Amino acid sequence: MVKLLLEVRLYSGLEKYVQDAKYGKPIKVELPDGTTGRQLLDKLGIPQEQVFSILVNGTHRDRDEVMEDGDRVALFPPVGGG
Amino acid sequence: MSKIIRVNMTTKKVNIEEVPEKYAALGGRALTSQVILDEVPATCHPLGPKNKLVFAPGMLSGTNAPSSGRLSVGGKSPLTGGIKEANAGGITSQKMASLGIKAIIVEGKPEKGTYLLRVTADNAELVPADEFAGRGTYELTATLKERYNEKAGVICIGPAGEMKMLSAGITNNDPEGNSSRYAGRGGLGAVMGSKGLKAIVVECDKTFDAPVKDKERFKTAAKKFAQILTSHPVTGEGLPKFGTNVLMNIINEAGTLPTRNFSRGRFDAASEVSGEKLAEVATQRGGKATHACHPGCVMRCSNVYPMPDGKVCAPIEYETAWCFGPNLEINDLDVVAKLNYICNDVGLDTIEAGCTLGVLMEAGVLPFGDGEAAIKALEEVGKGTPLGRIIGAGSAVAGKVYGVTRVPAVKGQGIPAYDPRSCRGNGVTYATTPMGADHTAGYAVTANILKVGGYVDPNKDDGQIELSRNLQIATAAVDATGLCLFVAFAVLDNEEGLPTVVEMINAQYGTNLTVDDVTALGQQILKNEREFNKKAGFTKADDRLPEFFYDEELEPHKTKFDLKEELDEVFNF
Repeated sequence: MVKLLLEVRLYSGLEKYVQDAKYGKPIKVELPDGTTGRQLLDKLGIPQEQVFSILVNGTHRDRDEVMEDGDRVALFPPVGGG
Repeated sequence: MSKIIRVNMTTKKVNIEEVPEKYAALGGRALTSQVILDEVPATCHPLGPKNKLVFAPGMLSGTNAPSSGRLSVGGKSPLTGGIKEANAGGITSQKMASLGIKAIIVEGKPEKGTYLLRVTADNAELVPADEFAGRGTYELTATLKERYNEKAGVICIGPAGEMKMLSAGITNNDPEGNSSRYAGRGGLGAVMGSKGLKAIVVECDKTFDAPVKDKERFKTAAKKFAQILTSHPVTGEGLPKFGTNVLMNIINEAGTLPTRNFSRGRFDAASEVSGEKLAEVATQRGGKATHACHPGCVMRCSNVYPMPDGKVCAPIEYETAWCFGPNLEINDLDVVAKLNYICNDVGLDTIEAGCTLGVLMEAGVLPFGDGEAAIKALEEVGKGTPLGRIIGAGSAVAGKVYGVTRVPAVKGQGIPAYDPRSCRGNGVTYATTPMGADHTAGYAVTANILKVGGYVDPNKDDGQIELSRNLQIATAAVDATGLCLFVAFAVLDNEEGLPTVVEMINAQYGTNLTVDDVTALGQQILKNEREFNKKAGFTKADDRLPEFFYDEELEPHKTKFDLKEELDEVFNF
């Protein structure tokens, strides 16, 4: 079976759902080919409603879009400032 | 009774005037920009006797409206040569409003001497203050509060303003007495310095005593507005938890974090200077990850960061963490805090100081990434050495002095913490706002990056002109109300938001304004500001970004800025 290797970063409080996670520190996650953002969150044990933004290689993605091998994925709750 | 305090620095006379009918329904930026347009010749020298400095609380300041304590300061900017409104949090706006002060207008210029203006409930007088010349803002604020009134709000400038440096700001204090709440941008501190006015002490024990016509109606609307703010995920949870610097990581991940003087869009060590790190360190050292810059703020986006030398920097904002962090390739929050503190004390705008240090690093005057060198260079400002004066003159001047072509500035004002190539809505705002590059003038980061108020792809041109136009109009109106601009996060996503703001204004003033009137007010403010700039000599050529944004690709998205003539459509209303 083809596998995806993703580089995932968690921020702004989402770290608490994954053991040893720290903001900015990449986590390597291996998943089956065809995995979506939604499935990634389930795999990591992060409640869907806690995640507002999924950035894949710096671009907002819908959580039902499929990831590709080597993607840089960043997950955020709602944030704002200025 | 509402009043205007007019201070003539040439004659040293202070007059208390009635508010003209024309100004009765104005406040904040609406009032400062109107007075500047009406009373200041647009071609005057910004540091000469014909320029004026206007301090105006927002329309809702001094009431129980949540997060409404913003103070507007207006004048002709020595940095841009155009009109300027810079606004600040802190406690003074509410005190001015509680005393019924609609505005303080400072005009003229003394032959010599340093003065302070002392404002009490029934009096305002100029007091000779030569003994305070050259004082840093922290010590000055503490001394004046001790001398006059511990509860006073102190508006003041540091040595940078007295030396008439082009990027000197005007500060006022937070509830704990930190002189760190800056009307930072555009060099209005130099205007205050040119007038020999070191400080304004507003003595008032009250915070929420501004006159309100229909108190019950107001209370209901204010309560509803607080609920709108606290129930939105950004204003109710995100901002109170990590402050504005929570942006560092998402802007970095989005690839639009200006790094190494705007040469890249990502900084590998961004998280080391982010809001998450700040909250961690501040809490460990007994500081605060959340703090209100003025009483009655429900968003509490400020923070208290204890520094290794025992002093506190409160707050470290995102823009400041960016300009002294990724922009200089500095990955140490303690260095950022130190640079921030120096600016607060000497009286400089942090964003301009960071942009200027970036240009100097580009020029090879000091190395990128060298925190100690940056601190040493910034310390020259207070000494008034040639290097210190170049730093205080801002990024555009520093670029000219050292022959640098990558200078991130529009209308002479340094560009803030979002690269316009991959956050194009903000690029449109930087280019076109009458203020010179200013992220707060039309904060398109909302729809470009944060997905608040819809979504407009930050790497494409489609929709950016309209986005910036609408945000600039709304922002001008918000800046008139005295509400913190951050209420926009909730207002943009909640259809009851704006009507509730209008309801508060109507209850306070007995007016019958509609939502459309508020839009019209925002448009009128922009028209006034554009008219002043046109008279001052600005043309379409001034509404463009620096050349390098059109020519150099930004990593990681490999984007260039493309919009040129389209920018002239922003003010088609």
